[in-house]
Amino acid sequence: MKKEKFTIVTFLCNWCSYEGADRAGSARLNCPANIRVIRVMCSGRVEPQFVIQAFRDGASGVLILGCHPGDCHYKKGNYKARRRIILLKKTLKQFGIEQDRVRLDWVSASEGTRFAKIANEMADTIKQLGPLSELEALN
Amino acid sequence: MQERIGVFVCKCSTNIGNKIDVDSIVSDVSNIENVVTAKSHNVLCSNEGLEFLMNEIREGNLSRMVIAACTPKMYEQRFMNVCEASGLNPYLFQMTNIREQVAWVTPDKDLATEKAKTLCLAAINRISFQESIEKKEIEVQPDVLVIGGGVAGIEATLTLTSRGRKIILVEEDDDSGTPELKQSAQFRKVYLVEKSPCIAGFSGRFEEVYQTMECAPCMLAPELQEVLQKDNVETLTYSEVEEIVGSFGNFTVKIRRKARYVSEEACIGCNACFEPCPVEVMNQNNLGLSKRKAIYIPYAGALPNVPVIDKENCLHLNGKECNACEQACAFGAINFEDKEQIIERNVGAIILAIGSKLSDPTQYPQFGYGKFDNVLSAIQIERLNATNGPTGGKILLKNGQEPKSIAFIYCVGRKEIGYCSGICCMYMSALAQHVKEKLPDVKIYSFYTDLCLPKKEHQRIFEKVLNKGVEFIRSDGSEYVDSDGKQLIVKYKIESSKKSQLIDMVVLAPPIEPNQDIEKLAKLLEIPLDENGFFSEEHILMKPYAAPLEGVFIAGTCQGPKDIGDSVSQASAAAGKILSKLMLGEKLELEPIVAEIDEEICCGCNICIGLCPFSAINRDSERNIAIIDDTLCRGCGTCVAACPSGATKARNFTLEQISAEIREVAK
Repeated sequence: MKKEKFTIVTFLCNWCSYEGADRAGSARLNCPANIRVIRVMCSGRVEPQFVIQAFRDGASGVLILGCHPGDCHYKKGNYKARRRIILLKKTLKQFGIEQDRVRLDWVSASEGTRFAKIANEMADTIKQLGPLSELEALN
Repeated sequence: MQERIGVFVCKCSTNIGNKIDVDSIVSDVSNIENVVTAKSHNVLCSNEGLEFLMNEIREGNLSRMVIAACTPKMYEQRFMNVCEASGLNPYLFQMTNIREQVAWVTPDKDLATEKAKTLCLAAINRISFQESIEKKEIEVQPDVLVIGGGVAGIEATLTLTSRGRKIILVEEDDDSGTPELKQSAQFRKVYLVEKSPCIAGFSGRFEEVYQTMECAPCMLAPELQEVLQKDNVETLTYSEVEEIVGSFGNFTVKIRRKARYVSEEACIGCNACFEPCPVEVMNQNNLGLSKRKAIYIPYAGALPNVPVIDKENCLHLNGKECNACEQACAFGAINFEDKEQIIERNVGAIILAIGSKLSDPTQYPQFGYGKFDNVLSAIQIERLNATNGPTGGKILLKNGQEPKSIAFIYCVGRKEIGYCSGICCMYMSALAQHVKEKLPDVKIYSFYTDLCLPKKEHQRIFEKVLNKGVEFIRSDGSEYVDSDGKQLIVKYKIESSKKSQLIDMVVLAPPIEPNQDIEKLAKLLEIPLDENGFFSEEHILMKPYAAPLEGVFIAGTCQGPKDIGDSVSQASAAAGKILSKLMLGEKLELEPIVAEIDEEICCGCNICIGLCPFSAINRDSERNIAIIDDTLCRGCGTCVAACPSGATKARNFTLEQISAEIREVAK
């Protein structure tokens, strides 16, 4: 079995990005198989702890997608996510985790193409960075 | 108790079946601890598939279930219904998407199979941490508070009170002991609070309104009478809302009812009290174009037809000796001892319909409003045109003569205020038409920069005005009004060449802006205003009738400028939503996926309070903890992500559940 060497844990908000990912499917757009989706109600639900756990459990990248700014189903959850992720990326850097391994972006429910594009870009980025190997700092 | 997990993988015919090796997934997951059944099915969403699931749950005595199929956006609810029907709590079911997000986007079958298997394992990992959630119902108050007695408030009130609910009671006859059926009806009550002494709002002042050119008081009178006569409507005029506490389903409202000094019960509306009153002041309802007494009704025909005594100007109420009105009243309706009252009412929902106002044209000094006589705002000429207005419907200059020429200036202040009010082009056209009918020889010039004629009737009305000889002059928006001492002069530019026109009367169409009360109400309810100061909607396209607070609705021009028809539509929509949510005699079902706080762990840091987009979290200062209002929480989980002590839990999206998923998918 061909096994891709890395995984990207992907958090999608229920209202916009999860549907965006579904649209990519309806349009039969290729997405990398190492994108592994976890559905949350809002990108604002994503705790920094989830990201750290994902790396600790073997992920090489974490992708968080929410509604576009101003479109959040819960008004401002995506802004809260943005605040946290900016801070988290700075912290991760101190653990030796490249900032590009975490990406927060916005995909609306109609943007299947955008979802596929971001998913492929993310996979390319992680491919270039290589898998995140044993992380003593986090374990 | 040993968990009994069932895993079902749908082939979706060939959609999943051809792209993913479903059988290998089924055989792999069947070895997992606690998985008692793992099966594939050709089409789970079919009737046959649903029956299959029902049998599996019942016969396998399943305590949890995982389905791998299409996106949960399609059939998750259908599968949850199956769970419910089979006696399994629907929140002990998890669905994972292997069609849209795997089979359809992964051309390589091995990779697709591996990804689908991972997702199934993640769901199985997660399901062990899922908890049953019971739907919660609360008792609600079906009554409604409507703030604002204009056309939107009236429409909402009538819609809300149109039907009651029939109740059949079984009572035993005292003597014979035989059961007897008794019918009665339950009605929803509406409290209609209006700040001014009369209802009908802005619209009631217009002689004729576009698009029908119908007399507004005649059009509104039957509706107003119905509101005033309905048993289940309490109309509180001359009243203002002072306090609102609570949430959707259970608001407590305090209303300040100002002293009217005239008994609404005793007064028959004969108006005999006006004549003897020795005080005369400017009548603001006619925008300073006429005078009124200290005891007055705002305009002839205003409803309720009960006068009010103006406290500031009444001699008696200011310690002087006068009781002229009291002597003139044959019905003993005058009550100088009347006191303002605070009235408390409980309601389940609130409709804000406080209307708007025309902005004061003195803000735009280039038009000479307030400086020159005979420069009028559109509402002033409406009053002149109205038969119940200061001139009895005659369009006259300040000196009492008929104008020979009138300039209508459109888009006054539009640039400054930053939005188009959308209705001025039409009411100015309607006005021009009325003026032409009353004064056929008058010369009318309409100065405009852009015309806004969006509705199906607008073009026709506009063309009619054109055909009546109204001259439309498209200038560049730089008009200003001057005077030569005898006549007014409108100076304007067309393609940078300067022009001027001598004119007898100028009519300005200033922008529609929010009412002064809007900020007070926004503060009381903690709801936002938009950048122009109107109420913000929950969603401008999908929920333009709701404020972003559960149970609070908006209707009419307090949400933004609009005409009567649009106000009525929005009011009906708001009322309709309330009718469908607050059913008479029924409890309110709350959203089950909400956040909860463990009171033992919460340290009262209050971080979550500031984060909640719905103001659903409050501080319990006695216990020094945060508490969540179930009726307001929508379950986004933002507070959960931020809680430093882990006291907050997002139902069905807990830390344990998501961690369990991460453990599997991150591998």
